[in-house]
Amino acid sequence: MTEVSIEKLTKTFGSARAVDGISVRIANGEFISLLGPSGCGKTTTLKMIAGFEDVSGGAIRFDGQDVVNVPAEKRDIGMVFQNYALFPHMTVEQNLAFGLEMRKVAKPEMRSRISRVLEMVQLTGYAERYPRQLSGGQQQRVALGRALVIEPKILLLDEPLANLDAKLREEMRVFIRDLQRRVGITTVYVTHDQAEAMTMSDRVVVMFGGRIAQIGVPADIYERPENLDVAQFVGQVNLVKGTVREGGSDGRCAVETTFGVIEVHSARMHAPGTAVTLTLRPEAIELGAPGKGAKGTVLSSYYSGSLIDYRIELEGGDIIHTQAFPHNRFADKERVGVYAPADRFWLLGAAA
Amino acid sequence: MTPGRTKGMGPYLLILPAVLLLGIFLVLPYLNIVLMSFRVPGQGTPYGVGFTAGNYVKFFTDSFYILQVVNTLWIGLLTTAICLVVGFPVAWQLARADMKFRGLAYGLVLSPLLVGIVIRSYGWTILLGNNGLINRTLLNIGLIERPLPLMYNALGIVIALVHVFLPFMILPIMAAIQGVDPSLHAAARSLGASKTTAFRRIILPLSLPGIQAGCILVFVLSLSAYVTPSLIGGLRVKTMAVTVVDALIDTFQWPFGSALALCLSVTGAIAVVIFARLTRMKWKAS
Repeated sequence: MTEVSIEKLTKTFGSARAVDGISVRIANGEFISLLGPSGCGKTTTLKMIAGFEDVSGGAIRFDGQDVVNVPAEKRDIGMVFQNYALFPHMTVEQNLAFGLEMRKVAKPEMRSRISRVLEMVQLTGYAERYPRQLSGGQQQRVALGRALVIEPKILLLDEPLANLDAKLREEMRVFIRDLQRRVGITTVYVTHDQAEAMTMSDRVVVMFGGRIAQIGVPADIYERPENLDVAQFVGQVNLVKGTVREGGSDGRCAVETTFGVIEVHSARMHAPGTAVTLTLRPEAIELGAPGKGAKGTVLSSYYSGSLIDYRIELEGGDIIHTQAFPHNRFADKERVGVYAPADRFWLLGAAA
Repeated sequence: MTPGRTKGMGPYLLILPAVLLLGIFLVLPYLNIVLMSFRVPGQGTPYGVGFTAGNYVKFFTDSFYILQVVNTLWIGLLTTAICLVVGFPVAWQLARADMKFRGLAYGLVLSPLLVGIVIRSYGWTILLGNNGLINRTLLNIGLIERPLPLMYNALGIVIALVHVFLPFMILPIMAAIQGVDPSLHAAARSLGASKTTAFRRIILPLSLPGIQAGCILVFVLSLSAYVTPSLIGGLRVKTMAVTVVDALIDTFQWPFGSALALCLSVTGAIAVVIFARLTRMKWKAS
């Protein structure tokens, strides 16, 4: 079991900084996701942890030992690749045996470990198959088994579900998460899919432009985003303009908005009169008859089955998105009351 | 609808022109060669009356011809082996490395094919001859006292053939390596394999189809090469192809020449079958 510590890790390609001095401590057995758009440095970071990419600066420690100069094959990692990277000329069993052969594990033990892992990834009976004879989901489980059978210090996953269809992807999320909990292995998971990161991780590291924008448990990232980039990346978000009425020193801040005066958390002092932006997630909003909450007019609505998407213009000019159940339909141009509980508003940059 | 289920003569009519073309201009002449190889040598005519197995008896009982087959096979094997050793790294580099001048390098690999084979072989005579560039230079520097025998021997033929056929080795191997997913190498490393082990256990077996194709191409081309061996080998070293042409054109022995040609073909075919058997890939089947 291993604790991973990344300290001021940097990777430069020419003059470009792909990874720009990031630091994260990953606890023993923790499942951590690196989340961000393509080109944010998440995959480069993973490759540096794996040892496939040289490090330009900083340190990567496994249980306190700096591994920056240790070649990939000596780092004792298990890695799952986006395209599975199964050896096409080997059977499932041979794929699983490869890492054990490299470790010179004795034949009888090898057999028992392989059958145990096959059972774990629910592929008992598939040992003699070649990868191309398996479905995408099965190949994915072989890749997972191959990474786990060597009982590595850490498990690294590089967008492993990106090539699967939506239904299978959700099944595999649960499968991987359960498996990781059972094995209790320290795991780093790279993805650009916020739902994946949210549902699977203990903590999420959101990255933009080679830097960490925010580290936190999924609820932190979603409900208390550090900045607008994070707020927008992890889901649909409404922006509500406001003016500070009272920037108290007690960590509270009263902001005047079209929803009335909202008291939000703020570690920073704001002078009265300062213009600020509050975030409000669409699902926090309740639509009703005019009277409760802010006044708004329905601009348009889109039926999407279980929910209806509304675009609503508020009195002050802000346009917000929200969803509502179809049992309570509003027509276009209808005047509505837009209500949201005060604790669902969040002042951007509040923690800074 | 699968093509196999098609009813009627339509599809057969479509391939008829191709079948006729091949039949008339390829299969019939081949059959004629087989027939010719059993004919009696003629006096002043291409062949005489009646049939005989004598041409084959002459081939199998004369150690001169057997030795020549061995020689030809040896030259073919050596050329193939050198092409493989020299060509594989080039193919690897072209397929994998981030090269600035990949286009140029690719062009250089193809360049031997752009110049006629006669010209290329003559070029080698200029380089390899006793008065050639290589020997002259070495003599002038004082590294050697008398010219090295680079021409009129198997060595010279192999050198020239390697140059001529190298692209046929590089291109299929390059294509095969390009088809191997780069993350497989990374996967092997992550499982504890060193770079060399990852190469040996993963990349090499997966590029085997390309190696196999390249080897067969170069070997077959080397066996049947005529221009290069005749120019570089001169009168002293002859390959089977050269002897066949001698028999057909110089001494006008059509029946015996045909028998020789067939023996060369069969020898080559046997060698290729043995090679294909040895390098057969189990995982490709089924």
